[in-house]
Amino acid sequence: MIERKAVSCGKCLLTAASIFIFGGAAFLYSGLYPMGADVPHNSLTYWVLETLRERSIAQAASDIEVPGDMDSPDRLLKGGGDYNDMCAGCHLKPGKTQSDFTMGLYPAPPNLSLDEDKQHHGSHDEGLDTLRQQFWTIKHGIKASGMPAWGPGHDDERIWNMVAFIKRLPDLSPDQYQIVTARGDVSEGNGH
Amino acid sequence: MKTQTLPRVLAISSLLFALSAQAHDPKEHMQNAEQADCTTMNDMDQTKMDMNDPITQAMMEKCKKEMSGMEGMSGMKGMSDAEEKAQDTAHEDDNSERHIDGGGSTKNHH
Repeated sequence: MIERKAVSCGKCLLTAASIFIFGGAAFLYSGLYPMGADVPHNSLTYWVLETLRERSIAQAASDIEVPGDMDSPDRLLKGGGDYNDMCAGCHLKPGKTQSDFTMGLYPAPPNLSLDEDKQHHGSHDEGLDTLRQQFWTIKHGIKASGMPAWGPGHDDERIWNMVAFIKRLPDLSPDQYQIVTARGDVSEGNGH
Repeated sequence: MKTQTLPRVLAISSLLFALSAQAHDPKEHMQNAEQADCTTMNDMDQTKMDMNDPITQAMMEKCKKEMSGMEGMSGMKGMSDAEEKAQDTAHEDDNSERHIDGGGSTKNHH
């Protein structure tokens, strides 16, 4: 009697698993899922992908050692120039609220000139975790998001400079941003 | 024939590799580099600027030559020491450049 029930339950599970696998494969190959960046994911897909991304980055970045001189003005100057050239198009700068990239990319890249992240990461340890994760993200990029891996062409020190700049970016006014990110020496264009 | 081709292939591939490695050098960006507009520092509220803040220090570093000619910067917190230091550095830089190239063109400090 018990054996018969166990066999029946096993068959039931096998049938359910088969339906799930074949149904999933049929949906996958049907081409019905909208892949255009102008059609948002449904909330379940978005949650799954976002959770996968956040957990993966947090796990991968957990052992990264943060340099002690992240508040150095030299890092701000070096990282600012790189941010302006490589990141500002998508992650914006003070005084800008959108660009062609932010309007067209999905998911939209975060506006790093705003203070939103700081509000979520209050404590010192959480702040360090944010720096670790930003470093990892810049170095390795994120699959299928438009975020490239900058690691192959940029050494760790240069990436930390960008992280140091991003840390202070929400505090900058448009004028301050212009001065800190300009690569040219003022003396070159002002007749000194 | 093959022994002559191999070094050429290796030389060309090494050259291409070296060029690709230079592509992200900050110096590459200097060709069309934007100049820092230090005149806007005059319009900033200097009483809210703190010389102990890395942002202010970075701006001072960027604009140290311009700052030697600016007025009204003494309102900043901790400005007196920093101003003297920045002005001294700027004058030293000017003097050393004049000494090196006879007072002609200036050089990039970063």
